[in-house]
Amino acid sequence: MGRINRNQLNEIRLSGKDIVDIRLGKVPIKADGEKHLMICGGTACYASKSEPVRDALKREVETRGLSNRCKVIETGNDAFATLAPVMVVYPEGVYYVHLIPDDVHDIVSQHLINGKPVERLFYRDIENDKPISKMMDIPYFSHQRMVTLRNLTLIDPENIDDAIARDAYQGAAKALIDMAAEEIIDQMKISGLRGRGGAGFPTGMKWEFASKAKGAVKYILCNADEGDPGAFMDRSVLEADPHAVLEGMIIAAKAINAHQGYIYCRAEYPLAIKRLSIAIGQARQYGLLGTDILESGFDFDLEIYQGAGAFVCGEETALMTSIEGKRGMPRPRPPFPAQEGLWKKPTVLNNVETLANVAQITLNGGEWYASVGTESSKGTKVFALSGKLNNSGLVEVPMGMPLKNIIYQIGGGIPEGKRFKGVQLGGPSGGCIPSELLDTVTDYEAITSTGAIMGSGGMVVMDEDNCMVDIARFFMEFCQEESCGKCTPGREGTKRMLEILLRITEGRGELSDIDTLEELAMMVKDSALCGLGQTAPNPVLSTLRYFRHEYEDHILEHRCEAGVCPNLVKAKCINACPLGQEVPGYIALIKEERFEEAIRLIRQTNPMPGTLGRVCNHPCMDVCVRAQTDEPINIPKIKRYAADMARERGIVVEFKKAKGNSENIAVIGGGPSGLGAAYYLSLMGYSVTIFEELPKLGGMLRYGIPAYRLPRDILDEEIDYMINTGITVRTGVRVGREISMGELQKGFDAIFVGIGAHRSQTMGIPGEDREGVFGGAEFLRQVELGTPPAIGKTVAVIGGGNVAIDVARICRRMGSEVTILYRREQKDMPAAIDEIEDALAEGINLRTLMMPESIANVNGRLAFTMHRCKPGGFDKDGRRIPTPIPGEVVEEQYDTIFAAIGQVSDTSLISTFDLRKGWITVDRLTLKTNLDNVYAGGDAVTGPAMVVDALAAGKRAAIAIDRDLSAKRREKPYKEQHDKIFMTMQVPEEIVKQDMTRTPKISAEERIKDFREVERGFDIETVKRECARCLRCDVKID
Amino acid sequence: MSELKSGPKNEITPDMWGEMDKIIDSYKDKPGSLIPVLEECQNVSGYLPIEVQERVSRGLNIPGSTIYGVVTFYSFFTMVPKGRHTIKVCLGTACYVRGGKANLDFIKDEFEVEVGATTADLRFSLDSVRCLGACGMAPAMVVDEDTYAQVSRGNIMEILERYK
Repeated sequence: MGRINRNQLNEIRLSGKDIVDIRLGKVPIKADGEKHLMICGGTACYASKSEPVRDALKREVETRGLSNRCKVIETGNDAFATLAPVMVVYPEGVYYVHLIPDDVHDIVSQHLINGKPVERLFYRDIENDKPISKMMDIPYFSHQRMVTLRNLTLIDPENIDDAIARDAYQGAAKALIDMAAEEIIDQMKISGLRGRGGAGFPTGMKWEFASKAKGAVKYILCNADEGDPGAFMDRSVLEADPHAVLEGMIIAAKAINAHQGYIYCRAEYPLAIKRLSIAIGQARQYGLLGTDILESGFDFDLEIYQGAGAFVCGEETALMTSIEGKRGMPRPRPPFPAQEGLWKKPTVLNNVETLANVAQITLNGGEWYASVGTESSKGTKVFALSGKLNNSGLVEVPMGMPLKNIIYQIGGGIPEGKRFKGVQLGGPSGGCIPSELLDTVTDYEAITSTGAIMGSGGMVVMDEDNCMVDIARFFMEFCQEESCGKCTPGREGTKRMLEILLRITEGRGELSDIDTLEELAMMVKDSALCGLGQTAPNPVLSTLRYFRHEYEDHILEHRCEAGVCPNLVKAKCINACPLGQEVPGYIALIKEERFEEAIRLIRQTNPMPGTLGRVCNHPCMDVCVRAQTDEPINIPKIKRYAADMARERGIVVEFKKAKGNSENIAVIGGGPSGLGAAYYLSLMGYSVTIFEELPKLGGMLRYGIPAYRLPRDILDEEIDYMINTGITVRTGVRVGREISMGELQKGFDAIFVGIGAHRSQTMGIPGEDREGVFGGAEFLRQVELGTPPAIGKTVAVIGGGNVAIDVARICRRMGSEVTILYRREQKDMPAAIDEIEDALAEGINLRTLMMPESIANVNGRLAFTMHRCKPGGFDKDGRRIPTPIPGEVVEEQYDTIFAAIGQVSDTSLISTFDLRKGWITVDRLTLKTNLDNVYAGGDAVTGPAMVVDALAAGKRAAIAIDRDLSAKRREKPYKEQHDKIFMTMQVPEEIVKQDMTRTPKISAEERIKDFREVERGFDIETVKRECARCLRCDVKID
Repeated sequence: MSELKSGPKNEITPDMWGEMDKIIDSYKDKPGSLIPVLEECQNVSGYLPIEVQERVSRGLNIPGSTIYGVVTFYSFFTMVPKGRHTIKVCLGTACYVRGGKANLDFIKDEFEVEVGATTADLRFSLDSVRCLGACGMAPAMVVDEDTYAQVSRGNIMEILERYK
């Protein structure tokens, strides 16, 4: 068919109605009815090998004689990239994921011939693994609102008739024939559409300027140079629905009275260019491009101009300069392109996504578009989700949606249970938004106020394994390479900033570097010639704003917490350990049966290996690289073996004490942080006295962790080892009772406060002060002291942390029936997974999604009223907020109830402490409090945390105290020196898949009879086998 | 002239010169056509040495210095011949956070080639690109026209084996 007029356009549209109805599911579903198999054919899908699936499908359909009623159509990018290759079958709307050619047989026989969709190929919900058959029922899609992406899965991008059947060129017809230029511009202004390329300039206003400019020759340009790393929205629109862009340009041309257009498309998008070329060819054939379009009298044609690999050419004036055949260098403005643009003619440059909205706005009216969104940001926005997310791909959401919804509800949260750290918005021009700000909504101004920018829509999610200094360096490197070189701030400023960032990541940074970076950043921002330079400092400024501590750590302590910067990280496990244990080293030594050296190496950084080998929460295992092959190494149990072995063989490791110093240090609290501080200060030569309120030392190790997890003889031995370095101990002494803080401050040169957090948090419900209701932490202490309260036959424990589990398991051992009640879901429980499993094995009941309401007394028993909950919206940390289900109130009777929902610290000993939410405020690096010579660490500062954190805090405080006291003495601070232990630096030759070996446990029925240790250690053969799995990440191969 | 490394050189045949002349002629009267001309010529000869630039300069009547400026500005143009196959490892944000750099280093070691250079046997040219727009499939890699997803040490050699 040749050139068409409006009537013919409508005819084509009408003739395609049947096809559209099938794809919109508006026809009855019959087993032998017409089926459209829309298989994805975007770049992402090709990369996931969708072409062999498409070919196999076509072949099979042909062979089975189904080609008449089963059409295989390749669509553009189908958006949910993680699931590629995907296919939708209409009219059912069934969504098949992760297809391989072998799946074709089942699809054809079961679904196409017998009418039964193939369930095993359905999407499975992330949270509950339930299959979901329809695309729009999948949370990823159901929360979206498709405007730009409205033709997702519905059209063949290489067939103009498909697009016309979906209303393509209706908007152009209306604009060219029914509307005057002013009207078109008016509607655009009413819509509130703002440039989607990143700057957010009101589109209607831009068109108005250009339409008012004088001149017969004007240009419409489409910016398809999408160069932001992390952005693929424009590519997807071009690959899936190119006519939307063409139509947008025609309408824009009429608005400003231009007759020639260019689409500047980056060369890295060959498929987009191909589909655009086909679309342009087909449009020209119908006369929708060229002269007298649709008999309207209006002429407009356009060409594709291919980029040549320069990010800066995405900038407005650089793009125009590039089309003019020159080096893509920006020009100063004014004059603005609306007055003098391409070839000095009035020009409008719009982004692909912006243009893709134009036809619908023209057709449906500006108010229709403006009915969605916020006050200042109307309509929808397409975001490209990528990075550390379960669901990657494109999403289109109404403006005003909170970021946390996009990340958790649509994005599916962070894989592998890792912690969210930041989301980069706006590519190299943007900034990182941390979790505290995830309530921010998608709105230009709201996002700008956080220091990021909406940008083109790239959203890259980062987790705890990403280093923010490294990310800043990455973006600066990008900007530096892509800088065109024309202006000094862009050319030299980025270079200098990059140099500083490189030095910091290599461990050669200085504290003044941070100020220099900020100064340079502000200077470059203010004086660079174009947007590239003006925004290049944004990632640096943004990471400095929210992650300054990472810069400080790199500079002051040569530490990269995320374990990324190679110069600062020996091995991920060593890096993740708060004590810096030489894990691969001691594993290698144990493998070689060099036990004495192994325990020596361990004790060089860890004075309590028997304890930690049993109770540590092992951050090392969470980053163990071996997990990428099969499972992590069982590091704590290897450590436990070394400690137990040393104990068995009577190996004692001695460290030399430094020469005696005159100062006296007081340590308040004999838990792990106090013990750690005392031990290290003692080794440094100080006289240390520990003041402990309870009869024995140990803190939560003794009065929190039950003996079946940590045998008391092991604990006693390790504490004695530390005390025997010459520490004075005064138990049964509470500061504020037997001795006052003032006396300590007078009598000692420095004080370390490690008073922990062992007072149960109240639930805040009526009746919690009744008899029979106890605090969990208090109960654990009383059990250890031998004075537990009488508990009844049926016990309820409220909470989901380790304290709740410990309370439950103790009550079980005391013969009660125990139920744990937790208000969220099991996967949200903070307790260690092992602990939860052990508790369940011991016959403890776990009921989740139960929220306490009140406790009453009924016939001498406690009547506990609870509300059943369902997981509601997401909070900033990605956890579902438990929402009470109306009417579902439950009442149960118990003899005893424990509240174990958390602990707070009792800081009453000093009323003048600076507190934040009840925790002692300290300097992050020196642990100094606001009081002279008083330092603090452990749970009293951080809230309940790990034992190893407390020990490490004690050591950090000791170092800080020594630094301050030696400065007063005018001496050099103590420098820790250890014998060098030589290890075989060899990587395993062959890697054979082998799961982690777990330590055996006594059977549940046996072990609940008493408090004997539940877990048994390794034997020598097993431990050597486990050690052999270590990949020796500490060995560097040059 | 730091681009003029003493690297491998490809012969430009009379046929190639003929094709390039045709390209130049077809664009002669279009303003701003330098970049498309250079792109198409590079498709023919594989690279843009000074000789080709001079040819274009005379054909389009544009000063040689301008052409040199454009060739050295855009990363798509090369004055050194490319290998039979181009490997582009994506180091865009999403690929980077998923291990893109490790992939690049691996290839550099295995094939003894630097980024931006060609292997001695002219089999592969290695480049890092900023972003392929396949962020959902990170880490990504393109070899010639084929895009590969979720690339790692485990499958890189298998992929590259197919390209002789």
